[in-house]
Amino acid sequence: MPVILKLYIRLVDGFNRRVGRFVMYGIFVMMAILLWSSFSKTFMTPSMWTLEMAQFAMVTYYILGGPYSVQMGSNVRMDLFYGEWTLRQRAMVDAMTVFFLIFYLAILIHGAVGSSAYALGHFGVEPYSFYRDLVWAFLTGGKEAANEVLGYIERSPTAWRPVLWPIKLIMLLGFILMLLQAVSELLKDIARIRGVDY
Amino acid sequence: MSYEMIAILMFSTMMLMLMTGQRVFGAIGFVGVLAAVFLWGTGGSDIGFSAAMKLMKWYPLLTLPMFIFMGYVLSESKIADDLYKMFHVWMGPVRGGLAIGTILLMVLISAMNGLSVAGMAIGATIALPELLKRGYDKRMVTGVIQAGSSLGILVPPSVVLVLYAMIARQPVGQLWLAGVFPGLMMAAMFILYVVIRCRIQPELGPALPEADRDISREEKMKLLRAGLLPIVIFATMMVPFVNGWTSLVESSAIGAITAFVAAVVKGRMTREVFENSVRSTLGISCMFMWIILAALGFGAVFDGLGAVKAIDDLFTEQLGLDPWMILILMQLSFILMGTFLDDTAMLVIVAPLYVPLVKVLGFDLIWYGVLYTITTQIAYMTPPFGYNLFLMRAMAPSEVTLKDIYRSIVPFVAVMILALTLVMIFPQIALWLPNYVYGK
Repeated sequence: MPVILKLYIRLVDGFNRRVGRFVMYGIFVMMAILLWSSFSKTFMTPSMWTLEMAQFAMVTYYILGGPYSVQMGSNVRMDLFYGEWTLRQRAMVDAMTVFFLIFYLAILIHGAVGSSAYALGHFGVEPYSFYRDLVWAFLTGGKEAANEVLGYIERSPTAWRPVLWPIKLIMLLGFILMLLQAVSELLKDIARIRGVDY
Repeated sequence: MSYEMIAILMFSTMMLMLMTGQRVFGAIGFVGVLAAVFLWGTGGSDIGFSAAMKLMKWYPLLTLPMFIFMGYVLSESKIADDLYKMFHVWMGPVRGGLAIGTILLMVLISAMNGLSVAGMAIGATIALPELLKRGYDKRMVTGVIQAGSSLGILVPPSVVLVLYAMIARQPVGQLWLAGVFPGLMMAAMFILYVVIRCRIQPELGPALPEADRDISREEKMKLLRAGLLPIVIFATMMVPFVNGWTSLVESSAIGAITAFVAAVVKGRMTREVFENSVRSTLGISCMFMWIILAALGFGAVFDGLGAVKAIDDLFTEQLGLDPWMILILMQLSFILMGTFLDDTAMLVIVAPLYVPLVKVLGFDLIWYGVLYTITTQIAYMTPPFGYNLFLMRAMAPSEVTLKDIYRSIVPFVAVMILALTLVMIFPQIALWLPNYVYGK
């Protein structure tokens, strides 16, 4: 296998592993938020931010943790036939069917790009050029110029009214990492077909 | 192409994709977004991501990682060992008593946890070797443990009912209460089966010999204290919830924290246990969440097609079946699917298809939630593919072969089908408690 591909696998797997091992402690963040929520509800005025904060924590937890769960092999497969195959046969089928996954992730990413642009105030149908303009404005004119490009910032329709772009960007990042991981799995399968152990 | 055809095409494509053994969420998600793009063009390409936003806003889903974490803490830290000892000493002198004790142990574990994994792990690693040593029939014992641990998803708190609630848009609290009596009834039926079987064939479950029973009264009383743990955990979760001090989600977090603290206090929270529970929680939570994400996308397309109405028409108008016939057919096909489909996948695939149909037919969705859960339990245990079967194989000592495990579940599945039929005929078994508590 070319060195560059080996490097890709090492980088992507290593990075996703670290991200996953970091967000895995998010379970305690969720617990803390919910504990505070019940505490404040019982003894003080209920906090407004806990419900949505817990939801944001959960989304971060499972989306950024996704690639690591793929590495751990936690994602169930229907093993009616799969379970009977040899490792090589599995790698061959996986190397083809992983494109279903890649297609699905690509559509998810496309949706996330559009929705994040909407959250930043772009209501048109050209989210990619919106980002290009945004980055270009920031590079040439600094923060103020970038502010010009931004439109009405989307907020959640609740009492707390948090802005929604951070969580949408986290989701976008998670889907991209998942896509990188899927490609890494594909490369590993190709290596296995060629008899290299991975 | 008619909508029925598209729906059937989508469903069969999904089955085909699943057969290839690709990750379940990838296969379901792929068919969902492909159909959306194909049907509605660029507008349809957002459906995949909208599902992620829908999932985020579905608050009760937060209970899922909490209960998974709790289950791992309970099973990894082995704080439930003392519970087994308690039942061992108290139930041992009776014929088949250790098997009965194991079922009771499973009921207690079910009340602390919403998945069957914890009960399975505790049963297979603690109870199973002990029972085999005492000369119990290995087939009966493995059957007892599998059947008992499946109660975890029926007795509250239950993760399966949380997922069902999300799909059926029903209140989780009522669903949980609806699971109480069917769960206890089923446990009682398992016990009855063991008692009768051991009366006819005493060699299957010999009573403890005199020498082993020689334990002072004081010692026996001391062991009863082990029973406090599940009561404390159950109470810290359910008391604030039932009184309306905390929401369901907050209660689940309190339960998870209580289990964690209990493990720390008992000195069982070693570095290894901590690492294993936290990491496995992430893995299992991600597995569930990504499948739900994909299934929501798939379901949205399905809803958009009006596929359910089409299927309903097909059954009631064209085939002329009455609602009960359809319901029975649905449960039968569900059990059948359970024998060859992966259970988690089945859970999220079957519910979006069946639940709207049940609603159109005019049945109570809380009641159907219980039927659904019992059927899932059966599916968990039926060969060749059952979550519990594989867990059992992975955890049981080597003298228990896969064939033993397959054979062991037969009588218990029969008991469960009987329980399912009873709940179908007498909906009050499930509905009395929620109606009483919520004053309907």
